[in-house]
Amino acid sequence: MQLRLCGDKKMDRNQIVKWIRNPKKMGPKYSLWGIYFATGCGIIEIPPILTSRWDAERFGIKLAATPRQANLFLITGYVSLKTLGAIIRTYEQMPDPKYTVGFGSCPINGGMYWDSYNTIKKLDKYIPVDGWIAGCMPRPESIFIAVTHLWTMIDKGIADGYKKYKENYTRYRRNQEKVLGELDWPPLYSIGKKGGGNDE
Amino acid sequence: MIWETVEIIATPVLAFLIGIFFLGLSRKIMARIHWRYGPPITQPIIDIIKLFYQRSVSHGVIFDMGVLLSLAGSIAVVLLIPLGGMHALSSSGGLLLILYIMLLMPLGVALSSGEGANPNISIGISRKLILSLGYEVPLILILLTLMTRYNTISIAEIVSQQEATGWAMFSVPLFISGIAYFLILPAILGLKPFDVVSALQEISSGPEVEYGGKYLALLTIDHAFALFIGIALFVDLFLGGASNPLFFFIKMLLVFILCLFINAVFPRFRIDQAIKYLWKWPTALALAGLIATSFMW
Repeated sequence: MQLRLCGDKKMDRNQIVKWIRNPKKMGPKYSLWGIYFATGCGIIEIPPILTSRWDAERFGIKLAATPRQANLFLITGYVSLKTLGAIIRTYEQMPDPKYTVGFGSCPINGGMYWDSYNTIKKLDKYIPVDGWIAGCMPRPESIFIAVTHLWTMIDKGIADGYKKYKENYTRYRRNQEKVLGELDWPPLYSIGKKGGGNDE
Repeated sequence: MIWETVEIIATPVLAFLIGIFFLGLSRKIMARIHWRYGPPITQPIIDIIKLFYQRSVSHGVIFDMGVLLSLAGSIAVVLLIPLGGMHALSSSGGLLLILYIMLLMPLGVALSSGEGANPNISIGISRKLILSLGYEVPLILILLTLMTRYNTISIAEIVSQQEATGWAMFSVPLFISGIAYFLILPAILGLKPFDVVSALQEISSGPEVEYGGKYLALLTIDHAFALFIGIALFVDLFLGGASNPLFFFIKMLLVFILCLFINAVFPRFRIDQAIKYLWKWPTALALAGLIATSFMW
């Protein structure tokens, strides 16, 4: 899907009419509480965007302590087989609506670990990812560009990874079981006998 | 009769607005102290709107009821505290009743989050109960001092007597108790030297670990009420209350900003250090104030 970069767009946080008309969309837009999955070096880029240089709290972004309180999931670094289980469990604990962002080139396609036997190369086979930030590592500015993209996506209603996860849960669960073996937690949604189509 | 009904409805609404304003103000002031721009002052309201539209996970009946119990307890305490010229229920009951109902707030949260069965919760709850044990000893001594001095247990009576004799904070034996109350105020509000209960980095926000969505929204509202209650009690008991809600709000604002500055510069006590501190200096000062007051009156 084509998305225009919203560099010239203004923030509509102070427009009370929009708040009254559509609080369900405006709320998540301006109150993104992130939980980051510090698998690799990407975690280094998170403290600068939260502290005085690039203060992300201006836009209502702050770190949540636990998955239950969060609605933005940052996967900052490569995903190994062992951490994939923890990522899935964290994602399933977050309340809807929730947004996932893959951060850096490692979660996109394995990055510099592209030929490792133990690294997940296609993360969105296992959990839905709403957006990617490319780079090794991305600059903090690109995180803010990603946030404006996420705002546009929430406005247009296409940041719906959590809905896709519910619809295609059978397929996601099958993919997860393929790499992790028997999962030791119960399914989040009911699993159908068939359906879900191919693995890709 | 009509005016009383209006007061009973208006007092919790005003208290909620003041508490939410304080939550937003604290984030803004902390950001400015960190040399950041900070979120808009309406950010807690935005957060609450978002949290109410989230899907939330319950862990059982007690999990639902405990939050409501805590919220009901704080609204009941708010009704018993005179807010400016508004005395909703404050002529009935008095300080003893407030002391009892104030226990409902930590108790409700403890009951509710205990259902979550997360190890961080049990650590947070035990810290919360130990901390309230720490600050309630000096608090009771301070309230006994005030009851001895003004010869009444009614909080409305204490406020009206201060209008005649001057603020308790600046009268001779009572200023010792006032300083003691100010020393335990950060512990009552859960601000920085005493924020062991919800220590984000150690036990990932303690009792709030399993809360999300609507439950967290209710807990935020409860937190706003708790901020209001702690400061409003100080203003009523030691700064002479106020004749109208505006002056009351200004006095509360000054006290809260002082507490925020303390919050900004101090690191966190461990729970044993907190107890050692609370049972040493504030308790000694409160005891000295009680003895001095009982000799002079």
